Amino acid sequence: MANVLTICGSLRKKSYNAALVRALPALAPEGMTLTAAPRVDTIPHYNHDDQEATGFPPSVTAFADAIRAADGVIIVSPEYNWTIPGTLKNAIDWVSRMKEQPFKDKPVALQSCSGALLGGSRMQYHLRQCLTSIDALIFGRPEVIVTFAPQKFDAETLELKDQATRDMIKLQLAAFAKFIERVRVT
Amino acid sequence: MADKVNVITIAGSLRKGSFNAALARQLPKWAPEGMNITEAPAWADIPTYNADDQASSGFPASVTRLADAIRAADGVIIVSPEYNYGVPGGLKNAVDWVSRAKDQPFKDKPVAIQSVAGGPLGGGRVQYQWRQICVFLEALAFLRPEVFVGMAASKFDEKTLEFKDEAGINFIKQQLVGFEKFIRKVSGRA
Repeated sequence: MANVLTICGSLRKKSYNAALVRALPALAPEGMTLTAAPRVDTIPHYNHDDQEATGFPPSVTAFADAIRAADGVIIVSPEYNWTIPGTLKNAIDWVSRMKEQPFKDKPVALQSCSGALLGGSRMQYHLRQCLTSIDALIFGRPEVIVTFAPQKFDAETLELKDQATRDMIKLQLAAFAKFIERVRVT
Repeated sequence: MADKVNVITIAGSLRKGSFNAALARQLPKWAPEGMNITEAPAWADIPTYNADDQASSGFPASVTRLADAIRAADGVIIVSPEYNYGVPGGLKNAVDWVSRAKDQPFKDKPVAIQSVAGGPLGGGRVQYQWRQICVFLEALAFLRPEVFVGMAASKFDEKTLEFKDEAGINFIKQQLVGFEKFIRKVSGRA
């Protein structure tokens, strides 16, 4: 049994990445449940002075608690300017400052969609670099990199239709479930 | 020199005692004669990027101010801390907004990068993330000399935050001289 938290890096309603998150439960292995993390857009810009003066905002605490409570985390994010969206990175910057840092020893898998041919891979490799600094257990392969997103989602419903993509996601989720079991501290 | 190049600094940290912001404030002291350095408008009040908000209410005034300042400048110096081996989310969010503006302000804009960190690498990792971002933005990233200030606590005055490290100041002076030449070269100015 694995309770997995999904974190989405895009805020817009018609986001392909958000649509990908919604597609995951149907592709997850038995025993894996997926829950969406609290939204990150209510988290203020990180400022150490604010942290000193008033502590961690409730939006940060809620985000961190959700990560701590999960057996694993899947970050599904677009690539902005060839790297991590600022809003998502800002949320990570906040929780990284906490005692009992929530990403420490946490299994984390990555997924991304983009309209073009690299599918957000540059973002994923920057995210791997950042997650290294906070001692996350970063899942390796298979990678889920969804290229040319408009061809793979239904234009109206945003349902993920592309069979090859669905198969790849199934493989990743099954392997991620095993990874979580293997590294679980009992 | 009649026509000085106008450069703005963008600091990546919001805290008052930030070493990066302190360095940015002190850069005018070390600027060559042909360069003016001023601070960019604050990005602290720029909201989180959401394409739906952009579509419904356009660009917030805080974003437009920053974009205008970048467009008006001959060059930009980003002085950034490294958060979790990467770019600070707050400043990246500001760049995410600005990058969506028509007449994208960073396009063909000379950009130099500096970083200050408490550890020995002085922000080496964050600078290479900024360079990757500059490729997307079609900014003209200045190359060398690079300015990495490591072990920051030993190099700034504890009270005044004055940057005291002689070797570091020399690197900065060389970078600013090089950056002025770079700006003049790529903008076709004498």
